[in-house]
Amino acid sequence: MKEMLGNQYFMARNYPAAQGEFEECLVKNPKNKSVRKKLIVCYTQTGRIKEAIKFFNELIAEDIQFIINTNPVTDDCPCPELVAKIEGQGIFNEESLDYCIVLGIIWLYCDISKSLEYFIKANEKAPDDETLAFTLNTLERYIDSHPINKHIV
Amino acid sequence: MSISDNLKDHILDSIAEGVFTVDKDFKINFFNKAAEKITGYKRDEVLGNFCKNVFRSQVCYSNCPIAIVLRTQNNLYDFESVIKTCVGDEKTIKLNAAVLYNDLNVPVGGIVSFRNLYEFEAIGIDLQKETFFNGIIGHSRQMKEIFELIEEISETDAPVFIQGESGTGKELVANAIQKLSNRKNNPFVKINCSIFPSNLLASELFGHVKGAFTDAFKDRPGRFEVAEKGTIFLDEVAEMPLQMQIQLLRVLQEGTFERVGESITRRADVRVIAATNINIKDALKKGQFREDLFYRLNVIPIVIPPLRERPEDIIPLVKYFLNKFSLFYKKQITELEEGAFEILLNYQWPGNIRELENAIEYAFVRTIKKNIIESAKLPVSIIEGVKSPPVKSTLTFFPVSKERADLLFLLEKNLWNKSKVAKELNIGRTTLWRRMKKLGLTNQ
Repeated sequence: MKEMLGNQYFMARNYPAAQGEFEECLVKNPKNKSVRKKLIVCYTQTGRIKEAIKFFNELIAEDIQFIINTNPVTDDCPCPELVAKIEGQGIFNEESLDYCIVLGIIWLYCDISKSLEYFIKANEKAPDDETLAFTLNTLERYIDSHPINKHIV
Repeated sequence: MSISDNLKDHILDSIAEGVFTVDKDFKINFFNKAAEKITGYKRDEVLGNFCKNVFRSQVCYSNCPIAIVLRTQNNLYDFESVIKTCVGDEKTIKLNAAVLYNDLNVPVGGIVSFRNLYEFEAIGIDLQKETFFNGIIGHSRQMKEIFELIEEISETDAPVFIQGESGTGKELVANAIQKLSNRKNNPFVKINCSIFPSNLLASELFGHVKGAFTDAFKDRPGRFEVAEKGTIFLDEVAEMPLQMQIQLLRVLQEGTFERVGESITRRADVRVIAATNINIKDALKKGQFREDLFYRLNVIPIVIPPLRERPEDIIPLVKYFLNKFSLFYKKQITELEEGAFEILLNYQWPGNIRELENAIEYAFVRTIKKNIIESAKLPVSIIEGVKSPPVKSTLTFFPVSKERADLLFLLEKNLWNKSKVAKELNIGRTTLWRRMKKLGLTNQ
């Protein structure tokens, strides 16, 4: 019940409502990757950045390709429109750590090199943050082991 | 007994109603021929696509019908919406929606059936003359009493409270009340109170001003304002959240309300017709419905009996639906075989008239190259549903049979003029009288 209703809210870009449904869904099935992938996006849109990066790190550690292989059209991924909105409309302070983290997360659904750029910036702003260090390390390791992506970077 | 997937596909492709199904991600995985005809899309163009990208309707973002079913746990009937065809034209449709579950009772998809509203309304206008009372079919004593009551209250603006199980025709009764009232030439606004989340219902009913909440980009009047000087039909009113019930009570008591986010008090001159399919006594006892609101709404109570308590109405309804589908499908099927009638007359019809209509349509589309519907063409659930002994209705003192219903139909048609009926049956008046007595029709 919760996952399907969450999917509809997500499709309608009603992120707070989708977030509620997905959270309840994970109580019963915490391993559901599809739900976690969408919940990360919801968290970035509802200002819960700590939860977003926590779930993001867990998912990229488990299966980074599950995010990287997102198709904006066939998966109805909102990330292209979200990137355009965040980068162009001054919703966040562009110097802020949250700005870099949110865009780093969202870009991974479309372009790993752009994602890496934002996480490098985030790491420069918070060099002692172990969570961000983990994210950066995971992305770099993935790029190193995938020459095509390394070439892009 | 079950039918094969091929047959199911054949049936779904034969019906005039568009049907599509989606998976749990809302990607279309079935699209029948009628859906192709209504939307202009070919099946292959839409399979695998998100339904919102195909239908491009406003409701996809604000009030998705399948999401409503998921939220309320009730199937949705006769929901009006506007979709875009493949060439971008807008089309108004009426749809029904339900959720599909797997064996573990987890939702795995949804099904929507829809009709082009104007095409269907055109047929409805043709058939109006065949209905007995302003769009309602009913020969039974109970329905006649309701028709009389509707005529008696035509001069008043008092609130009406309609109770009846799902599928009994509450909206038709509301339509008839409005059509006969002094407000018949003024707006008639309908709203299903159960399909809106509580935070949106206030805005729907009373309107909002720009900035009242996140998505309030501009001022918008509510349904009460749109219905000014006219009538509002509040369907499933007992599903309304308690907070909203207080606001509705105020409109009924004082005739005033405010738009959401505004402090200006507005006046409402609107006649209220409300309806519910739940047991209102239970709702009152459990505190789900306010007693003061109930008494305000229940000035003129109308209780529509379920179809199982008025089997005399089944045959005229069947005849009406056969005519309707003959026009809609452009094929002439005008009869049901005797056995099929017996099944229909002895089934309990938990879904009432809506279920009967669906059963007739199902049998209608399965009948090919014949002008009579055989019992085997009826839905399996109906055929098997009468295998258990029929529960006797407390209101039926005579055997429910096609013979009785047919004779009653003829008597009604001829305004109980026995000479005319005897002539039509080619029997003597005494024989007719004996037959009427045997079937318990002498006291009507």
